[in-house]
Amino acid sequence: MSGASTMSSDKRNGKYRTAILLAVWALGLFLFTLYSGLK
Amino acid sequence: MTDATHAHGHDDHAHHAPPGGVMRWLTTTNHKDIGSLYLWFSLIMLFTAGSMALLIRAELFQPGLQLTNPDFFNQLTTMHGLIMIFGVIMPAFSGFANWQIPLMLGAPDMAFPRMNNWAFWILPVAGALLMGSFLLPGGAVAGGWTMYPPLFIQGGISYDLTILAVHIMGLSSIMGSINIITTILNMRAPGLTLMKMPLFCWTWLITAYLLIATMPVLAGAVTMLLTDRNFGTSFFNAAGGGDPVMFQHIFWFFAHPEVYILILPAFGIVSSIIPTFARKPLFGYASMVYATASIAILSFIVWAHHMFSVGMPAAAQLFFMFSTMLIAVPTGVKVFNWVATMWKGSMTFETPMLFAIAFVCLFTIGGFSGLVLAIAPVDIQLHDTYYVVAHFHYVLVSGALFSIFAGIYYWLPKWSGYMYDETLGKWHFWLSVIGMNIVFFPMHFLGLAGMPRRIPDYALQFTEFNQIATVGAFIFGFSQLIFLVVVLKAAKGGVKATDRVWEGAEGLEWTLPSPAPYHTFETAPVMK
Repeated sequence: MSGASTMSSDKRNGKYRTAILLAVWALGLFLFTLYSGLK
Repeated sequence: MTDATHAHGHDDHAHHAPPGGVMRWLTTTNHKDIGSLYLWFSLIMLFTAGSMALLIRAELFQPGLQLTNPDFFNQLTTMHGLIMIFGVIMPAFSGFANWQIPLMLGAPDMAFPRMNNWAFWILPVAGALLMGSFLLPGGAVAGGWTMYPPLFIQGGISYDLTILAVHIMGLSSIMGSINIITTILNMRAPGLTLMKMPLFCWTWLITAYLLIATMPVLAGAVTMLLTDRNFGTSFFNAAGGGDPVMFQHIFWFFAHPEVYILILPAFGIVSSIIPTFARKPLFGYASMVYATASIAILSFIVWAHHMFSVGMPAAAQLFFMFSTMLIAVPTGVKVFNWVATMWKGSMTFETPMLFAIAFVCLFTIGGFSGLVLAIAPVDIQLHDTYYVVAHFHYVLVSGALFSIFAGIYYWLPKWSGYMYDETLGKWHFWLSVIGMNIVFFPMHFLGLAGMPRRIPDYALQFTEFNQIATVGAFIFGFSQLIFLVVVLKAAKGGVKATDRVWEGAEGLEWTLPSPAPYHTFETAPVMK
């Protein structure tokens, strides 16, 4: 496997981490908005 | 844009052909199919919400009540706004993102193709909920697209359906933005650094971050509305000790960045088109990226300029007034760069370029009237008048919608493999630009004279400008049928498009055959 395609493959394997971080952020923000409303 | 050393990453093996029939579209995970679905959905919704606009303008042709009653009129204005924002502009830009981002980045598809399918297919459900609410007792929601309590707490069952629809549309947007961010950060071709990406990808990356930072806030706000309506809470219900103004703060914390969600991808489209037809590289690429990011960041600290008339301390008014005015700086950088790109270019004026130039001129008018409205004492006078309606239609029609037309004319030959009818395209452009100005320019005068928005009747002195606006609306509305004909003709056949399509076009997507094969860049191109 060439160096370039290895780099590409590594980057693509990181997609789940990126997506999970974004999803957790979105859920957290939704819950924080509700929490703000309770105060 | 750096050229690919081998950009032949398409593959036409028979096993890659798409399945046929309805199941192809229901189960597709192909970014091009899903892009097309978004764009067709957006077109259908454009004619739906556009018909509502024509009914509104027909009612306003003369004072008194002709065609509607006040409640139905308010249902029309509310649904027109909700559908145009969530059903037309946002899905259209998602369509562009799906088609173009993988092609521009040299990626084989979006990062999460199955989630991509879900993100699209829940949208028609939301559209059906909104449209179906017209048939319910009491009709559709009539409290304005802003969903303010107490009206939104007091309405009938259609208000619950609208809250559900907003949740679904928000979920779709969040799934879409996760996909776009992940695709851009993780799926770029080797060597394609962030600062080498086409500006369209940058604007969408920033838009996706805006979406994920604001949609959950909207979801929280409408969830609290839902519990106020059905479960006895009093978040926003003054009768129970709640605060209706808090809803406005939360809503506009979402909705002002939403304005930029509706315009940043437009900046990206126009920044792709102008260099092509000026035959010059985009002037100030890096400053365009930083200006886009600055606009996005500033969009989070200006929300209360929508609420000056609610009443707030003078210091808060000053803060929101000046922070709003500050947005003119990065926006001015962008307009300067577009003009500088055209300066001394070998320009030609095909339909995409005409719409892009109209965008630069007319969006700037919308920006200027936004500056007028940013001035707190002026805004208190003009709040809820037709001046505001004129302002945001210059931003969203001659801004967002014109950029969508420009983008469709620009990339349609690459998508369908056929050139569109240039003569009909130019007819569409001129009738649209003339009609649009006839509708919305007189609204500035109506607003300055004090005509309130969302009212089906008006005082006699407003008649002439309303009649002019209505004539313009019908010119603009019916000229969109030309657009429909152009798109259908180009989808069906015609003159074959070349691979590059436009002489001055640069970028990975133009290295592919026209139409772009069903699967592309299965082997990533290496960028120099």
